[in-house]
Amino acid sequence: MGDWIKTFKQGLSIENPLTVLMIGLCATLAVSTQVQGALFMGLAVIFVLTMSNAIISAFRKLIPNEVRIPIFIVIIASFVTIVDLTMKAFMPGIYQFLGIWIPLIVVNCAILGRAEAFAYHNKVGLAIADGLGMGVGYWIVIVALAFIRELLGTGKIVMFDATLIGLPSGYAPPGLVLLFPGAFFIFGFMIAITRALGERAEKRRKAVTS
Amino acid sequence: MGKSFRLIIAVVVTCVVAAGGLAVTYLATKDRIAEQVRLAEENSLKTVLPDAAEFVDAGSGVLEAAQTAADDVDCSAVYRAVSADGSLVGWGLRVAGRGYGGPIELVLGLDSTGKVTGVTILTMSETPGLGTKVQSEEWFLEQFKQLPEGFDSADMKELDTISGSTKSSRGVRNGVEAGGRIYTDVLSDLAGGE
Repeated sequence: MGDWIKTFKQGLSIENPLTVLMIGLCATLAVSTQVQGALFMGLAVIFVLTMSNAIISAFRKLIPNEVRIPIFIVIIASFVTIVDLTMKAFMPGIYQFLGIWIPLIVVNCAILGRAEAFAYHNKVGLAIADGLGMGVGYWIVIVALAFIRELLGTGKIVMFDATLIGLPSGYAPPGLVLLFPGAFFIFGFMIAITRALGERAEKRRKAVTS
Repeated sequence: MGKSFRLIIAVVVTCVVAAGGLAVTYLATKDRIAEQVRLAEENSLKTVLPDAAEFVDAGSGVLEAAQTAADDVDCSAVYRAVSADGSLVGWGLRVAGRGYGGPIELVLGLDSTGKVTGVTILTMSETPGLGTKVQSEEWFLEQFKQLPEGFDSADMKELDTISGSTKSSRGVRNGVEAGGRIYTDVLSDLAGGE
């Protein structure tokens, strides 16, 4: 049980797929212009990551080493297609915003990376904890990034056609924030902050042990 | 031999199971997806042509001619909009002009004289917050209603573009302009009926 929690927490902190491992950034930068879209993108990633981790781990002894990558991809692609069809059928508005980025979760290296690095070598319970941890870690960062970009780039946060937060009307939103360069700037600051926090925690730990 | 056989079996089994799972998902969602697509289009048609009671597919011959008239813009559907008593009130077109992030699919309503009754965006992949202003800035789609009967590219130049969304604006304008060409070349001759 303790192992599961430890594995789960790693995805959130010291092995966060976005701010630490920096994998799967392409889709992240593309869809983090809208909190609502980012929220569902994150949920889709959590689902695909957890399910593919679970299945790959369950069959890890049966999957031959030589053909593991094609098998991983088939498994991941199947779960992504399930998400894709379900979203298309039940959430057309959100699907329209996420568009091509949902099918592209197949080639998101955060997912193949976890299959290869973790699920293939660990028991099912741990693999699920890892999938959930990595997925939730991804979700928190993408939603935070989308929150900053939507607020600064459009001056308000809109979810399900309701304006949640609005900046004063005198604010002229810089369009740059919504384009890729703006995404890189803000993401850079986010990495710097997580690094700084990580280092401080490290120092404190050292001070306690010595 | 034995080893490679095992590898083949592993991949084949995975693919068969995956295909089975996907077939089930596809069957479960197929009708709903078709319904969503149809609903989205019907809502757009009703918005641009509020007077019409029914939209009848104009047939493949008309569509082909419309595509020729539309030239480099894609025209994927032509509907004859009829009122409750069966008289023609106008035309619904589905055209796609090239924007910044890909095609911008529009539903365009024309009345029986060729004036624009409304434009809505069906699908697009423009930059959210920038290119999507073509939809969120309401005046932009509204201004096409000022176009005269039988409008052409000269009339289009009178219209405004959204600053910062030049390419997206142009995509919409090209789509509407193609609608004008389709009317002049094809639909104006058909006004009397079949």
